[in-house]
Amino acid sequence: MPGALPAPDQGCVAAWRGVTVRYPHQPRDAVGPVTLDLAPGEHLLLLGPSGAGKSTLLDTLTGLVPNVIPAALDGGITALGSDPASRTPAGWSRDIARHFQDADQTLCGMRVEDEIAFALENQGLDPGAIQERVAAAMRQVGINAAWRERRTTTLSGGERQLVALAATLAQASRVLLVDEPTSHLAPLAAGRLHHLLMTRAPGRSVLIVDHRLDGLITAIDRVAVLGRDGRIMVEGQPAALFRSHAAELDAAGVWRPLASQIDTALAAMGVAPPRPPANIADVMTHLTALDRTGQTRARQALEPLVAAALPSGPGPEPGARTVAARLCGADCAPFLGPVVLRNVDLTIMRGEILGILGANGAGKSTLGLSLAGLLRLKAGSRDGAAGGVAFQNPESQFVSGSVREEVEAALAAPGSKARPGAVETVLAGWGLGHAASQHPFELSHGQKRRLALATLTAGGRWPLLVLDEPMAGLDAASAASLAARIEALAAEGHAIALITHDMDLALRLCRRSVVVGEGGIMADAATTDVMADPALLARAGLAPPVFKPVLDWFGEAAP
Amino acid sequence: MTTSEPTSYAWTQREILIVAVLGAVFAVLYLGWVQVWLVAQAFFGPVTMDVVMGFWFIVSIIAAAIIRKPGAALFSEMLAAGIQILLGSPAGLILLLTGFVQGAGAEAVFAATRWKRYSLPVLIAAGIGAAVFSFIYTWFRFNYGALAPGLLVLMFTLRCLSGALLAGVLGHLVVEALYKTGVLSGLPIDHARRAARA
Amino acid sequence: MSTPRSAGPVACFLDQLHPLPKLIVCLIWLVAAIMVFDARFQAITIILAAVALMLFSRFSVWLVLGLMVPFALFGAGFLTTSILFRDGSDFADKMAAEAPFVSEGVSAGIVLFLRAIACGMVSALFTLTTDPGDLVKALMKNWRLSPRIGYALFSALNLVPDLASEAQQIRLARAMKRGRLPRRIPGLAEGFSLMLPLLAFAIRRASRAAIAMEARGLSRDGPRTILGAPVLARRDGVFAALALALLAVALVQVWLFR
Ligand SMILES: Nc1ncnc2c1ncn2[C@@H]1O[C@H](COP(=O)(O)OP(=O)(O)OP(=O)(O)O)[C@@H](O)[C@H]1O
Ligand SMILES: Nc1ncnc2c1ncn2[C@@H]1O[C@H](COP(=O)(O)OP(=O)(O)OP(=O)(O)O)[C@@H](O)[C@H]1O
Ligand SMILES: [Mg+2]
Ligand SMILES: [Mg+2]
Repeated sequence: MPGALPAPDQGCVAAWRGVTVRYPHQPRDAVGPVTLDLAPGEHLLLLGPSGAGKSTLLDTLTGLVPNVIPAALDGGITALGSDPASRTPAGWSRDIARHFQDADQTLCGMRVEDEIAFALENQGLDPGAIQERVAAAMRQVGINAAWRERRTTTLSGGERQLVALAATLAQASRVLLVDEPTSHLAPLAAGRLHHLLMTRAPGRSVLIVDHRLDGLITAIDRVAVLGRDGRIMVEGQPAALFRSHAAELDAAGVWRPLASQIDTALAAMGVAPPRPPANIADVMTHLTALDRTGQTRARQALEPLVAAALPSGPGPEPGARTVAARLCGADCAPFLGPVVLRNVDLTIMRGEILGILGANGAGKSTLGLSLAGLLRLKAGSRDGAAGGVAFQNPESQFVSGSVREEVEAALAAPGSKARPGAVETVLAGWGLGHAASQHPFELSHGQKRRLALATLTAGGRWPLLVLDEPMAGLDAASAASLAARIEALAAEGHAIALITHDMDLALRLCRRSVVVGEGGIMADAATTDVMADPALLARAGLAPPVFKPVLDWFGEAAP
Repeated sequence: MTTSEPTSYAWTQREILIVAVLGAVFAVLYLGWVQVWLVAQAFFGPVTMDVVMGFWFIVSIIAAAIIRKPGAALFSEMLAAGIQILLGSPAGLILLLTGFVQGAGAEAVFAATRWKRYSLPVLIAAGIGAAVFSFIYTWFRFNYGALAPGLLVLMFTLRCLSGALLAGVLGHLVVEALYKTGVLSGLPIDHARRAARA
Repeated sequence: MSTPRSAGPVACFLDQLHPLPKLIVCLIWLVAAIMVFDARFQAITIILAAVALMLFSRFSVWLVLGLMVPFALFGAGFLTTSILFRDGSDFADKMAAEAPFVSEGVSAGIVLFLRAIACGMVSALFTLTTDPGDLVKALMKNWRLSPRIGYALFSALNLVPDLASEAQQIRLARAMKRGRLPRRIPGLAEGFSLMLPLLAFAIRRASRAAIAMEARGLSRDGPRTILGAPVLARRDGVFAALALALLAVALVQVWLFR
């Protein structure tokens, strides 16, 4: 098969030619055949639905697949002009830094400073230089110097991701392979990190896989989209590609930046900007420059988007609501950790979707677990029924040997309202049909997340559900269906606490949000009010929703 | 087509790490077992030691059955001993020697199969091997020569039975259960099973 | 098991020592405790270790006494056996017979009891004042331990404290499936049912760490910098000299008054 394809350009940093990978005893290839190049100095964004094989493709470049992770590999790969097999995976680390999707995969469980220094020590740099680079990386990424001595296993999900990023950046390699670097970061930190990763350094090439596109696109040279069949579906300049292939991308369930979604809506009314917008600022420039008729048409075009950006329907009637769970004067502490939140008073009603927002390490996961009654309070009290929690790390949810057994166990649990034969429906509904016989730990990241959510929501037995970063790692299609499910569950009378870093999502699903930070609850108010308070958002490490400027424009331009 | 083949006797980083964590986990369990032994001993007397002894060989059986390379049994047992000392085992330094002897007993059986066979009978034999070695060692350490022959035969039989059951059979069960959880995929045990099935 | 580096210099004298001389001193002392079958020597060892932990590290009296409990339980096993089964297999006397320096007059059971505590305290003194990371770094740097093995050891040592939180995570997941909070401390049956998932967790974590280490360049060949490895200082010499002198005094006093 490789003979038929053109030989890779020797100037390429990385080249894949008709590459396929098949994991042992799987009936189908996990990737491919993929043909793709990364040019020197290029910033390439790789998109694709969950399970398309993005992470696997990155693993092949340094020989992790098949040398460390067993698999059958076919096709030709060139890394920096030579065969990946010409060095060990460890040998490649000098030139190619790999940031894994799961922070726990990048880190080895050491102390923070050892973790960041590890790759540099392996390169045999001299101690002074290592110290400097560790300190610089910690400063850049914004890691508190007080963490130096802490084990990474005692950090929160987002804090761990920050440390993993610092470790990747400290390597200062020629090629960066980064897989979803910001999925657990609060908005301000995510913006800073995207900026760091995407700052051009002479001769540095970056291949990034990410679902969080707003704020990233402007720094990207080229986008390649991996389709469900494992082949490259389209590739090209980002803004143009998102305009010309909008329908295909939506059909494949791939994320598009918000600017592109607005662009499509405007185009349908014939008022699209002449050049495809790269970000919301471009959109705003265009909108404000429109003439009166143009603005009216634009308003019509945006109406559905605006409606979708805010909670739909009137919401449950205040009088008819019952309390699902309540914390009174609660002091919350993570397991074996110190008290991080003091004197919390929080009530969640049935039929309500409550947003829990805050910076990394603010204590959101701790609050979520306490609210569900899974953590013992250090002080204060909790009343209400026990809740189900979708843990921040989906792997914590798994107890069975295969995807199917996992779902079966959830449906068979006491209190579950499932009918026989529901297993297939659940699997199909979450797009896990063909992975049913796989082991939960062998799934792709997004598939793990979906399985965890599937097992939790399937039986409908929890009056209270706490979802901790449920959207992290999901593709657009799964995220949309999850959002619909959350609304359906709330409409059935379940109480849902949604911990998220996606302000647009919070605005769309949650009428009320609490902002966690500064050792307690900083605000408990209508989400629209929270989002309209820039001072509060900044103090809490948050940023206004990406869609906010458009919403404001829409409100102001009211006829 | 490049496929990762089960390679020679060289250890991969993953295998080294797995033996190390097995050593750590079983060090904790062994320390717990010491308490079980002491409680039982208070009731049933000194022969209890021979009855419970087998469990202290189990890590070498498990590690060898998973990694299937020379040294797995010996190193895992010594590591478990070393970590027990670090965790503050009451037995102290002498534990390293004990671990060495017990690991060597199991390793000897695996060596006799040229590190090729890990069926249940072989695992049981390895458990008995460890029991025999440890019996010889305690013979010298506690001067068993002075004991009545009848008692000695009883102690020896009990210890071999314990090695066969608590190390060999239990080890086999643990490995089977672990295999089902999928965490052993890609390790030598996995290669061997899949090759056997194909 | 980790070391708080922020406490004062005297209070943390033991914690700041280079791990290797400390290890050697502790090993020598352990050998002595095993060879010298004498109640007074064991008692001296226990007292010295306890005092050292209280004066030169961060342990309170209560903590030190608490530490002794498991060792005492272990030792009590010897005591009861030697009392209850005096004419059985004379386990304690057999143990006594193996030691070259035996003083008569005191029940061998009591010596064994004290010896268990003494060995335990010396081991504890080393473990509780030594950071596993520092130990592994020192082993790699000074004793040329291969980094592949060194980091495997390091991961294994780091795993032990994480087992508790992982067990709690598993218990939470299960409790959730049942719909009520887990008990504060797992019972015996629950403890057994946690063993297999914990073992699977440990192996999975090892497999992951292997990928992480390899992807970040840990290999068997090539020079490798070891950052932050402990360096020998004068205090290590002072400690070793002092400890060995104390050991000599203790031995001589046992020898003189046997
Ligand atoms: N170790 C493994 N064993 C068997 N199958 C695997 C293994 N790892 C991944 N797969 C399968 O290979 C396919 C590709 O996985 P991969 O992780 O590359 O997807 P991905 O594009 O990165 O998805 P995501 O966006 O969800 O992270 C998936 O269907 C997954 O189930
Ligand atoms: N075992 C522990 N020991 C010490 N500190 C801990 C421990 N577990 C968590 N913490 C700290 O508690 C704080 C709150 O953690 P939590 O996981 O609730 O944060 P979070 O708001 O969910 O953050 P993220 O957005 O990053 O997930 C963090 O600062 C974290 O470092
Ligand atoms: Mg992936
Ligand atoms: Mg969290």
